[in-house]
Formats: sequence, C-alpha cells, structure tokens
Amino acid sequence: MSYLARRLGSALLTIAMIVIINFILFRAMPGSPERVILRGTPNVTTAQLNAARERWGLNDPIFPDQFGAFVVATVRGDLGYSFVARGQTVGQVIGQRIWPTVILFGLGEIIAIAAGLALGAISGWRRGGIIDQVGNGISLVLYSTPYFIIGMALLLIFGPGLGWFPTFGMLEAGARYTDILDRLGDFLAHLALPLTTVALGLIGQYAIVMRSSIIETLSEDYVTTARAMGLRDGRILRRHALPNALLPTVTLIAINLGYIVAGAITVEVVFNWPGLGTLAVEALEARDYPVLQGVFLVLGVSVVLANLVADLIYGVLDPRVRS
Amino acid sequence: MAGQVALARPGGARRFVGAGSLLRAVLRRPEGLIGVIILTFFALLAIAPELFVGPLQTAVTAKGPRLSPPIEGFPLGTDHLRRDMINLTVHGARVSMVIGLLATVITVLVGAVVGIVSGFAGGRLDGFLMRITDFFLVIPTFVLALILTPILRDLVGSGSREVFGIRMTLVVIVVVIGITSWSSTARIIRSQTLSLKERAFVDRARVIGAGGGHIMRRHILPNVINLIVANAVIVFAGAVLTETFLSFVGLGDPLQPSWGQLLESARAIGAPGLGAWWYFVPPSACIVLVVLAFTLVGSALDDQLNPKRRERR
Repeated sequence: MSYLARRLGSALLTIAMIVIINFILFRAMPGSPERVILRGTPNVTTAQLNAARERWGLNDPIFPDQFGAFVVATVRGDLGYSFVARGQTVGQVIGQRIWPTVILFGLGEIIAIAAGLALGAISGWRRGGIIDQVGNGISLVLYSTPYFIIGMALLLIFGPGLGWFPTFGMLEAGARYTDILDRLGDFLAHLALPLTTVALGLIGQYAIVMRSSIIETLSEDYVTTARAMGLRDGRILRRHALPNALLPTVTLIAINLGYIVAGAITVEVVFNWPGLGTLAVEALEARDYPVLQGVFLVLGVSVVLANLVADLIYGVLDPRVRS
Repeated sequence: MAGQVALARPGGARRFVGAGSLLRAVLRRPEGLIGVIILTFFALLAIAPELFVGPLQTAVTAKGPRLSPPIEGFPLGTDHLRRDMINLTVHGARVSMVIGLLATVITVLVGAVVGIVSGFAGGRLDGFLMRITDFFLVIPTFVLALILTPILRDLVGSGSREVFGIRMTLVVIVVVIGITSWSSTARIIRSQTLSLKERAFVDRARVIGAGGGHIMRRHILPNVINLIVANAVIVFAGAVLTETFLSFVGLGDPLQPSWGQLLESARAIGAPGLGAWWYFVPPSACIVLVVLAFTLVGSALDDQLNPKRRERR
C-alpha cells in the first residue's frame, strides 16, 4: 500500500470514529432522546412521546437503521437543529461562527510558527548565549501559561489601563461604517489583543521544540563534516541543520493541534470573540447538545485533516518515512 | 539501601533504578531542584490549607470589603463576595492539586495497561488498541471533554454527594480528564515494551513456562516503571491545565473552587476590565508556577533517563 493511501485511510478511520462517538453520545444523553427533543414542551403526554419516537425513527433498531440514518445525515452535512436557536440548523449556526475562528487562529499560527521557529533556531544555535537564556526562560513561562491567562493579562494592561484596544467582540456594536476600510480598521483593532494572545501562547511551545530539535541536529555527523569542510556558520545552519531540524517540528506542531483547541476556546471566551470557541461554551451553558456535537465534528475533522497534510508534507520532505 | 531493590534478579531482569536515586538525580540539576521546591510548597498548601488560612470562606462567612485591592488584613485583596483572596487561593491549591493527582493516577494507569498489553500481545489486539490510542492522540480531546462532562454529570446525578470529601461534579471532571488523556502514555509505554519483549530475560521466562500475565507483571512492568514515573510528571501538568480550562468555561464547582474556577468567577464579573488584577493574578500565578515546576522536574527526569540527552550535556 502506498504511503498516501495509508495516511488517507487512517484519517478516514479517525473521522469515522468521531462520527460513531457522536452517535453513541447522542444515545447516551441523559433522559431518553425523545425527552431531549421535546424539551420545553409542557405536559408531554404518552401519545406525544410515542409520536415523537415514531417521527424521529427511535422505534427502529439502533443498528443498522438508526446508525445508518445518522451516518448518511452526517455525511450529507445534516447535523440536526439547534435546541436554542430555534429553526436554525446546526450547520447554519456553525457556519456563522467558523470564519472568526479561522482568521484568528490562521493568523496566530502563522505568526507563532515564524517567530517561534526563528527564536528556537537562534537559541539552539547559540546555546547558552544571551538570546538563548532570556528566550528559553520566556518560552518556558509562556509554555506553562494557559492562553486565557495571557489574554486576561493583556486585557488588564491594554484595556482599562491604556485604553489602546477594544476588548470585547469582533466589531463595535451598532457602529456605522463610512466605507469598507473603516470597517476593516475596527475589525483589526478588535483582532489585536486576541491575536497577540494566541501568538504568544503558541510561540513558547514552538520555540522549545525547535530549540531541542536544533540541538539534536548539531551533534549529527553531517554537521561535524560540514564544519570540518570549513563551511561558514550561517551556511551550516541554513543548509544543513535547519532543514533536518524542521522535520520533527512539523510533526510536533501537527500533533499539538488537538491540544491547542482547548486554548483556542478559552481565548475566544476571554475576548468574546464570536467564533467556534464561544459557540461551544454558549452551547455548553444552554445544554445545546446538537451544536456541541457539531463543533466537535467540525474541529475534530479539521484537526485530522491538518494532521494528514502534515504527514504528507513530511512524506515529501523525508522520503524515508514513505517506506 | 532502602528504596533500591536488588539489581540482579534471576533471569537478569533489572528492577528500579531506585526511587531514592532517581529523586537525588533530579535534585542535582538546578531546574529539578527549583521544580521540587515549588511543588513541595504547593503540596504543603494542598495537604493542610486550614492550617495556613483557616476554613474556606463562603459568601456567608466572609467579612471583608467588597472587591477590594490589597489592604491591611487582606494582603491579596478580596473578591466580589467579600472573600479573602489568600483564603481562596490556598484552598484552591487543594482542589486543583487533588483533581490533578487523581486524574494523573487514572491517566497513567489506563495508559500503562494499554501500552504494556498492546506492546506485549502484538498482532490484532495491538492493532485494535493502537487505533483507539491514535484516535485519542489526534482528536481535540478537550471538546470531547466538554460534551462528556455534562452528560456524565446528568447520568450520575451529581446532587450534593461526595466521594472522599470531593464533590461529585469534580469526581466527574477527574474521570473525564482520565479517559481523554491516556493516549500519549500508552504510546510511550508500548514502544518501550516492544523493545523489552525482544530481550533475553523475557525469552528465558517464557522457556521456563511463565504465562503472559506473569511476564508482563514481573518482567515488563518493573522495567518500564521509571518511564511511567517520568511520564506521570508531565501528565500531572497537563491534568492541572485541563482542569483549569474546564473550570474556566464553567464546568467547575463554585462550592469547591479550584484556581480555574476562581479565574472563571473573575472573568464572569469582568475583573480584568475593572482593573481588579488582585482577583485573577494570585490563582494565575499559582497555575503557572505549578505547571512550570512540573515541566522543570520532567525535563530533569528526562535528562536522567534518556541516555542520548545525558551524554550531550
């Protein structure tokens, strides 16, 4: 089997398991499913219960009928209806909230990868130097700090203290914009603090990984050989050490994505950023299980796909793993 | 020497490096020493918070001013319910550390059993267990925890029941952290088991008729115990963080406030926006210190146990 097919198969299997878990969780929900569906309806009669059971197919055998229907619906993108936002499908609710998260974390990741890898590479290269000592200390502290604590600190400093940036939401509530640039400016002002939080939260982690990766690489024989050949330091770092040190870093970044989601959710909560994280917490407070499961599905599939991409990149960079 | 069990066993199975010598090795490294000192301090707070600050203050018993910055008598200020922040933070140590400890025990137990069985049995069982492990390794387990926690709580009917003085809501948190975070432990233990399985002493044990269970318990387990301890340190840091995250999004217990729960209250009343730094700086500092300490100890342990890193120092 080719490398590509194996990675693809394993990603599909993981996604299938996410769907299965979602199904089991829906069945395990406290109170039978029909009670959850009828929640908020006063004085439910037995007849109504039975009608609901019949209407939602709960009288069919769990396997294969109910499970089959659930899988077909999920594959078609039908995730059911939100309990709270009446009349809206889970797909619609999530669709409104997905872009703020993509923007915040897409930009945050890019900044953090660039800055973190650079800091880590310099620290590892000039090990024990001033940049290493200061940078590694800061990285360790940032790495140990939950993102939302960084967020609350920034909020304290720049919110009421200096008043430089708005601290709530994505756009000024009720604001009227003269043109698109005005609107963009307001958006960027709101983005500043959450984006800084995300970037700071990630930089520590990436710098630490890159630093130890560079240190491992520097003791490899080919670096010694390059030194013996009289190559200049900068060239050894760029051409010999960096490319090899980047390999394990790619994997670690991908593996940590699942964990980063926890930080993502809390950062959004701190700044009331209207993304999937605040949606998850709102759904949690309202016990809006379909939305919660939808968020789990969307985030789970995204992380699995990101891992797949990382695996494929790794396969291109390092032919050895393909065998 | 106490704590140092016989090194040469019949069949050559080497047992513990020795808990004592492992600790001494950690203490020899400056970062290990700092980490151990910090953790000892918080362990003392967690064991007997009453000794330092008296019983946990509630909205009823608290008599301080409302949301006051540090003043005489309240060196860390008070919260919006007039409670002394020192009192809350010290009692938070107990809740956070105990949840972290119990969750670590479950995590490491599940991870070690899955890892040893998977690595030793091999074949289809190994394939099956590793599929599940990889699943938990990849997916955002925190979101799964967000869904599992309220469902489990409703299933067990939390009420006001307590287990060993821990409220049911928090027991559920412990279980949820345990079942969502064992995967990396399982991976690490499995790969060590795979290499141990090929060693001569396992073959010899098999030749004299030892069963699989016996070999796993008496020959594999003693040889991975150091790895389990080193991993537990990292797992503990992760468990404290996960508990903090869960509490922060509203899944904590206001009646037994952990550090994360205090931060949630601080956010809920808008403390950062009000400039009430004293409400969230003490619990934040504690969380960062504890996680940092575990990371430092873990790094020192890793240097000790990983010969590749040791010789490069």
